[in-house]
Amino acid sequence: MKGIAHFISGVTVASFCPWAIEAAQNGNPSFFILGAVAGLLPDTVDFKFYRFFYHYDVSVEPDPLQLDPQPIADALAAAVSNAAETGRPVRVKLSTIKMSADNWRQYRVRIDSGAGEVRVQFGPVVSTGQVPQPDSLPMNRSVAVAKFSAPVRQSYEPGYTVDIFDGPGFMFKRNENGDVEVDFLPWHRSWSHSLTVGALLAGIASFWTWKAGAVVFGAYVLHVIEDQMGYMGSNWFFPFTEKRVPGFKMMHSGDAFPNFAGVWLCCLLIFWNVYAAIGNPLYHFSFFRFIMTAMVVPFAIFGLIRRLLIRADRRLPEMLSIDWNV
Amino acid sequence: MIFTAAASVLTGTVLSCFLALLPGLHIYNVMGLAALFLYSLHGTGIASMPEVYIPFMIGLVTGWSVLNTIPSVLLGAPDESAIFTVLPGQKYLMTGRGYEGTMMIGAGSLIGIFMLIFLMGPLAPKYLPVVRYVLNPHMHWILWVIITFILMTEWPKGGNRGPAGWRKFFDAWSTLSAGLLTFLLSGVLGFLLLYRTPVSIDNAFQNIMPAFAGLFAVPWCLLNAISGAKVPEQHLCDTLNINGDLLLRSGIAGGIGGGFAAFFPVVTGGIGGLLAGHATAQRDERVFMMSQGVSKVVYYTGALLLFFVPGLYLTRGGGAWIIKGLYAPRTPGDYCLALGSIALSGAVSFLLMSPLTKWTLKLMKKVDYRLISVFSLCIIIALVFSITGWTGLFVMAVGTGIGLIPVLFGSRRLNCLGVLLLPIACNMSGIGEPVAAFLRLL
Repeated sequence: MKGIAHFISGVTVASFCPWAIEAAQNGNPSFFILGAVAGLLPDTVDFKFYRFFYHYDVSVEPDPLQLDPQPIADALAAAVSNAAETGRPVRVKLSTIKMSADNWRQYRVRIDSGAGEVRVQFGPVVSTGQVPQPDSLPMNRSVAVAKFSAPVRQSYEPGYTVDIFDGPGFMFKRNENGDVEVDFLPWHRSWSHSLTVGALLAGIASFWTWKAGAVVFGAYVLHVIEDQMGYMGSNWFFPFTEKRVPGFKMMHSGDAFPNFAGVWLCCLLIFWNVYAAIGNPLYHFSFFRFIMTAMVVPFAIFGLIRRLLIRADRRLPEMLSIDWNV
Repeated sequence: MIFTAAASVLTGTVLSCFLALLPGLHIYNVMGLAALFLYSLHGTGIASMPEVYIPFMIGLVTGWSVLNTIPSVLLGAPDESAIFTVLPGQKYLMTGRGYEGTMMIGAGSLIGIFMLIFLMGPLAPKYLPVVRYVLNPHMHWILWVIITFILMTEWPKGGNRGPAGWRKFFDAWSTLSAGLLTFLLSGVLGFLLLYRTPVSIDNAFQNIMPAFAGLFAVPWCLLNAISGAKVPEQHLCDTLNINGDLLLRSGIAGGIGGGFAAFFPVVTGGIGGLLAGHATAQRDERVFMMSQGVSKVVYYTGALLLFFVPGLYLTRGGGAWIIKGLYAPRTPGDYCLALGSIALSGAVSFLLMSPLTKWTLKLMKKVDYRLISVFSLCIIIALVFSITGWTGLFVMAVGTGIGLIPVLFGSRRLNCLGVLLLPIACNMSGIGEPVAAFLRLL
């Protein structure tokens, strides 16, 4: 899920703790801040600290002036073969192509385990918001293909889009069956996304008070659980386990609707918890009525209006998509 | 009475057209001056009717919140609520599509007006008093959580290349550190202005204005003036490439952001836009721009409308605080008057958007872009000096120094809002005075 969803989830965890609400009513926001920080912390650790110290064996830097996809495909295929032959893990980083302050050249990579090949194709220039810019597709959009011989196992999706900020990294590692496992973003959701680290941080927070520890642990664990809904999964019990548990593949982390619905639900739960903590409230309403009024009915109306608008427009919802042949 | 009110709204709206086109000028400064004028009238024994000046003020705010998109996009002098629209807006400008970009944000503003009239209008009196009752004791931690979000979600822009290690880490953290430093320094400036303001007591209601001008408007004008960017030939389009679905998504994202900002204290349109942008995860640039148009109107005009909601007793935003000194709304009739004024002013402002944008583009053809930036800068300096004197100019200069940090390092300009967020969050949590004492301000 996106950062704000994890963040607000952490705040929601804190709102379920009566001591947090009581402290807040007395002017102490600490538990809510702790919940918020712990909710976002696993990703903060990965994206703002750990990834800068993660070493790669091969770094692929495409030339922005001569868009040739072949070296990229070759480098990835070679990495797979190398990992299979030597048994040593090979870490590869694909760099992004920055065109200007806010524009990036997009390319897509597919590691096709069935066909035993890597395919790469260049796409349009996209903004930092990953929106394709008009008339920016390259003249030649040939697909580069490079073969590898070893069988490959992928826990993530086989296609990867490279565009903004930092490019993706892969670790190719031979397992006991001789297959090469593809570990996408090996620095992400590894040790930082584990219950053990959550427990450790909760233990540290407990030096202040066990209540703080409970909030930290709850928020941290909820982050890991939420991430499990996606594709990549997390390494739940580091250092006792080495690999990530594959996700439930229910959503992509950037999907708009589940993220928004999650954030909205969290806001409502926080509101309810704060309301429930009022001793003798002036206004009375049940949880069912509250959720119906604030979530179910508005979402249903939104869905209906959107459907009608799309139908009135007599075409599919406008998608800013590009055809890919990889 | 209706005709008088309508005439007042229209007068306020037309006046706001000119005010909105003056880059860097905030409508609350003008409203403050108008309030001073009304006070002086009262002092001389001349009473002015609320049915005249309330619609006038609403016309000013509504018209300005719709039309100040024009200088934000075309002249590059944003107020705080527009800092998110400027980047994509300027991209449109630099690709010759400034008119299209402005009108797109204008379409968002119209959606915002619709949301205020048809959504907030009927629902606010029923639900907002409940929301306020429940959340009122919790505003302080909500503010702290928002601050935490702002600080934790800045994305490192560097550190994408080179071997792993500390060099890469420091490269990435240069932007993050600049953001944190900006927030901290702005916060200290905010404490200084709150606890030991150098601005004279006569102009206390404009206390924060020089700092805001320095933090947000001046760095942008300076950058435009020295950058030497050439604005390409601008094309006027007949239609906007948008549809109902995009409008709906923009309305939801912007409405939530602007509504959140309008309802919660100190949370500004920029913050509301940031939160809504993250929450709704909209990637389409058009949705993003239109949603910022929605957010801006809902934030400025919605905050003023909250003041009139029967049974809510909520004063949010500079406009409401200025009117509060003159008049306290009593009946649902006042609420209807406010809604009607917003509807009329919003409609007229939107209709004026296209001709005013075309006129500004014509002006830009004749006058050098850099010259306009210098002119904007002169207006801002003159305004700050006329209201707050040399002291205000000094505060503005300090604000400019802080406001230049994010511009130079590429971090979020929103961090400058530490000037409001930090001292007020501290005060709301009861630690404002100890912090001020630590800073030797007491």
